[in-house]
Amino acid sequence: MLSSLVAWFSAPAQWSASTGIPARLLQHLGYTALAVLVGAVIAVPLGLYIGHTGRGRLLVVGLANGLRALPELGVLVLFVLLIGLGLTPVVLALMLLAIPPLLAGTYSGISGVDPAAVDAARGIGMTESQILFQVELPNALPLMVAGLRTAVLQVVATATIAAFVSLGGLGRYIVDGQAQRDFTQMAGGAILVALLAIVLEVALQGLQRAVTPGTRRQEPARTDTVTAGG
Amino acid sequence: MIEFSEVHKAYADGTVALQSLSLTAREGEITVLVGPSGCGKTTTLRMVNRMVDPSSGTVRLDGVDVSTQDPPTLRRGIGYVIQNAGLFPHRSVIDNIATVPVLLGRGRAEARRQAGELLERVGLDPRVGGRYPAQLSGGQQQRVGVARALAGDAPVLLMDEPFSAVDPVVRADLQDELLRLQSELGRTILFVTHDIDEAIRLGDMVAVLRVGGTLAQFAPPSELLAAPVDDFVAGFVGRDRGYRRLQFVGAGSLALSTFPTTGDGWLLVVDDDGRPTGWRQGGDRVALGTVHQEGASLRSALDAALSSPAGRGVAVDDDGRVLGGIEPEAVITLLHRTDALEPADGGDR
Repeated sequence: MLSSLVAWFSAPAQWSASTGIPARLLQHLGYTALAVLVGAVIAVPLGLYIGHTGRGRLLVVGLANGLRALPELGVLVLFVLLIGLGLTPVVLALMLLAIPPLLAGTYSGISGVDPAAVDAARGIGMTESQILFQVELPNALPLMVAGLRTAVLQVVATATIAAFVSLGGLGRYIVDGQAQRDFTQMAGGAILVALLAIVLEVALQGLQRAVTPGTRRQEPARTDTVTAGG
Repeated sequence: MIEFSEVHKAYADGTVALQSLSLTAREGEITVLVGPSGCGKTTTLRMVNRMVDPSSGTVRLDGVDVSTQDPPTLRRGIGYVIQNAGLFPHRSVIDNIATVPVLLGRGRAEARRQAGELLERVGLDPRVGGRYPAQLSGGQQQRVGVARALAGDAPVLLMDEPFSAVDPVVRADLQDELLRLQSELGRTILFVTHDIDEAIRLGDMVAVLRVGGTLAQFAPPSELLAAPVDDFVAGFVGRDRGYRRLQFVGAGSLALSTFPTTGDGWLLVVDDDGRPTGWRQGGDRVALGTVHQEGASLRSALDAALSSPAGRGVAVDDDGRVLGGIEPEAVITLLHRTDALEPADGGDR
């Protein structure tokens, strides 16, 4: 098994042809990016609104739980039946997966900002949009990126279903492998999906650290002590 | 000047936060609103910058009805300090302070330079400027909060329990700092607290509010201590008000005694310049205790007398040189003579 996997990965055609690993990887990333982007266009403004105003909190909970319970493959088949084959049903199905974590992350990020900071922002004369974009959003970014991480991981793992409706992506290896009883190919596809997920996870963890307030642009630790004040 | 006239506030659920409040906070003074929780003091303060709008009645700022003003514009012209400071966690200390000038459209570089000056003004090391709020102590954060409120050069400051969340020692420092700043800046300050000692310490005028939102008494602190209008105010002002009231009484005409220079009793030890360094009794040296400085209040004089191990306090001049001894009886005698209590010049509040 291991030697056949090595052989599968090292075959020259795997790395050059239009059906090779780089091409499949890019397709897979493309579906993921598109689905997360469309999900974010819907979830982030909604989360900002609900977080800032406090209205519609029940919607977040209901929507998040409801969407999470949907069977992805069934949803995809439903969309294909409704829309026909193509990229759109795939992106829509994956988008439904991306929305709950993005919405929950944005909402909880905004509503979790220190109420005293928001009160002070209002009290010193910020407009509501200034409060949202200059105070709430920067402080909500870590939780929003945490939501993005979850969304990306779920979508990247599930994007294999695109192959079921004759699109590309890393799912091809799994679907084709199963059809051809080529378990090496199936394992190769699964390994690639797992590796991609790990790489994205590490990258997004880095992003989450980078947007955590008060730590970026922070000066190196000092040894002297500032004595003024209490 | 801030004027409240017949201000009433009731919420949709029927809760009445303020009955009908009429009050004027004079220009350049610290006006303190004090009362138990639920008395509407914070609501009152928040009506000035329209964080809360009254159900009826008017709030005027320098003669202008605030309800005619656009809230963000109005608020940029009023300093605002709250409990726990409410600093922006994602902005450095300097940028926190520079917020209002930047909102007002002043240049960022100029706003930062001014913010640096304000840091020193509120007693912070300028090196703190590059730090983030989470890296500061509670007291430091509160100082930054005050600096941020001063940055817009607003003539009016609203302070909502600004020092309640810090420990008593730091609180006393912050109170002193506020009084020092106020003596330099002369802003019109409306200050909310639940702490009557803080109110008496800081206020030029103190408004005591009752639960349910009625004004019980509005008077200078000395009057509040000397003549509370009713049992509620008397109870709220506290048990040792008679003693605390002495801080508003001058000790100028206090009769001082002379210290014996020889004998077996308590002898005051002074250095070459005439400054007291301690006591000697028999062969033992005893620490000095509190001394009363010339010009301070009668409270300071009585405290010096009562805290001295020798049974009499030491009065010193501005340079710390011995003026004479303070017998507790002399303080009481002066109190009896002073029917109309004169305020101390400068006081030591």
